[in-house]
Amino acid sequence: MNNIEYAIELKDVKKVYGKEEGLEYEIEVLKGITLRIRRGSFVSIMGPSGSGKTTLLDIMGCLLRPTEGDVFIDGIKIDKLNDNELAEIRRNKIGFVFQQYNLISALTALENVELPLRIAGKTKKEAGERATELLKTVGLSHRLYNRPSQLSGGEQQRVAIARALANNPSIILGDEPTGNLDTKTGKFILRLLRELNRKKGYTVVLVTHDERVSAYADKIIKIQDGKIIKEEKK
Amino acid sequence: MLDIAFKNIKRQKSRSILTILGIMIGIGAIVTLGSIAEGIDETVQNSLQLSAGKITVTEKGSGFFGFFGELTDEDIDTIETISGIKDIVPVLFYTENTVSLQGPEWIAIGIDTKKGEYFVGENTEIEEGRNIEEGESGVAIIGKRFSEKYGLEVGDFWEIKGKEFEIVGIIERTEISDVDNSIIVPFDDLKEALNTDTFQLIYVVPEDVKDTERIAEEIEDASERLDTLTSKDLARQAEELVNRIRGFTFGIGAAAACIGGLGVMNTMIMAVIERRKEIGVMKAIGATNTMILKQILLESALISLIGGAGGIILGILGSILLNTIFVQTTPIVTPSLTITGMGFALLLGLIGGYYPAKKAAELDPVEALRYE
Repeated sequence: MNNIEYAIELKDVKKVYGKEEGLEYEIEVLKGITLRIRRGSFVSIMGPSGSGKTTLLDIMGCLLRPTEGDVFIDGIKIDKLNDNELAEIRRNKIGFVFQQYNLISALTALENVELPLRIAGKTKKEAGERATELLKTVGLSHRLYNRPSQLSGGEQQRVAIARALANNPSIILGDEPTGNLDTKTGKFILRLLRELNRKKGYTVVLVTHDERVSAYADKIIKIQDGKIIKEEKK
Repeated sequence: MLDIAFKNIKRQKSRSILTILGIMIGIGAIVTLGSIAEGIDETVQNSLQLSAGKITVTEKGSGFFGFFGELTDEDIDTIETISGIKDIVPVLFYTENTVSLQGPEWIAIGIDTKKGEYFVGENTEIEEGRNIEEGESGVAIIGKRFSEKYGLEVGDFWEIKGKEFEIVGIIERTEISDVDNSIIVPFDDLKEALNTDTFQLIYVVPEDVKDTERIAEEIEDASERLDTLTSKDLARQAEELVNRIRGFTFGIGAAAACIGGLGVMNTMIMAVIERRKEIGVMKAIGATNTMILKQILLESALISLIGGAGGIILGILGSILLNTIFVQTTPIVTPSLTITGMGFALLLGLIGGYYPAKKAAELDPVEALRYE
């Protein structure tokens, strides 16, 4: 029985890309990762390009199954779940924030935030109310009906954060969330995530190159060549 | 998620409009061509009412409805020997200026005037003027369309093969083309004008309707050159003919619509490729494969249904246009034709959308998210 004191728990996780992915030879991207991320903590995973940090995030985000090892999200063992069960975990327990924001261009800010709620079966009205409230939380109540192309990078990332929070997940996973932003806006986004972590108790895990993130994190995990080389608690 | 489907369709307006047009033309073709088949069915059904309860005798091998047959008075004598017959009515047809698409411009019918009801139907009334009286000669009654087409009124004259006929009456509109387009003259007058002793068909009216089949059989047994058609035979033949026309017109329309269906498939494949990353996002935020499949199918079904509705309107307009070309038949857009059109459109949308929808549903979220 796992202790659900941990939002995320990985035990000797390996990921090998090979024939299934259309490669002629096998590449071991993760070479036995074991880590625990405490509920309500703010963790930064850092490492150079090609170190396997994005693959690690994909596995933690239930987008990818490990080749070997156990993965627990909120105490649920996910490595044997089918596609629909994984989708359910992503829907209810995880919120994603991407470097490219990945908002849907045809939809307004409000509709983008409504989308995960609609997917979760909420009515248009319920979803609208919740989305409006979330956009207010991230300071965008004046931008509800703007499309992504009418918003600045920082605003788009705030919409993406509001979307990540829509179904009230326990974990927010960020893949280089400040990568496309200028220093000032990047700082603003990190502060916002930190505030959500502190005040609302979301577990935040960011994969990043950005050294500034360390100033906000409780724990920094450094990986290189698919292995954890250092864990730093602050 | 209908609202999102609408938004997605509106994204690539010109592409969506072209796809919708493709479906519109296909469904329009089904409805327009189908309306001809339905119109023919209606005409045939009306005509069949006339033959109810009587036997139509033609010469064997003389073509559809005995049009090229040559029956003689001897044939009437043969039929007279059979018992249970109430009446024997020879009918002579004459046409000129046949236009292939429209059929004959008019038909002259020579019939014993006091028995004319067997041709025009018992309940048909003379709208203007009067009927031909017994023993009269050189007079005619004409169908409504015939009178409208040539601007003829009671008191005008019409010439057939050099013999003049005074029009004494106009028959009310019956929607039976053989009546509405005809000029009915006394049998002997037409025989004289055409300088012939033969005629194309004989109506045999049984005393008791129950004897129809027996009398028909006996006529065929009595003479090798005679063919009989009862209303039952006619109905069966007509149904076969109409069904063949229906199948043929639907086939042509369906082929056109299938090309529209390919357009839907093409559009949806393009949409799935373009929106690959978004599909990855949808999956990342918790959409299952089935949800993605349904969303894409909803979009393709919507495109097809909009096209289908447009196609029905186009089909109705097409059938109105055809109505001005066809004289013999009025094309009819029946409710079942409308339902068939919409059903076919939906089917095309679902079939055309299934492959791209399945592709979208099966996309690996990680790959889709990283797609640039």
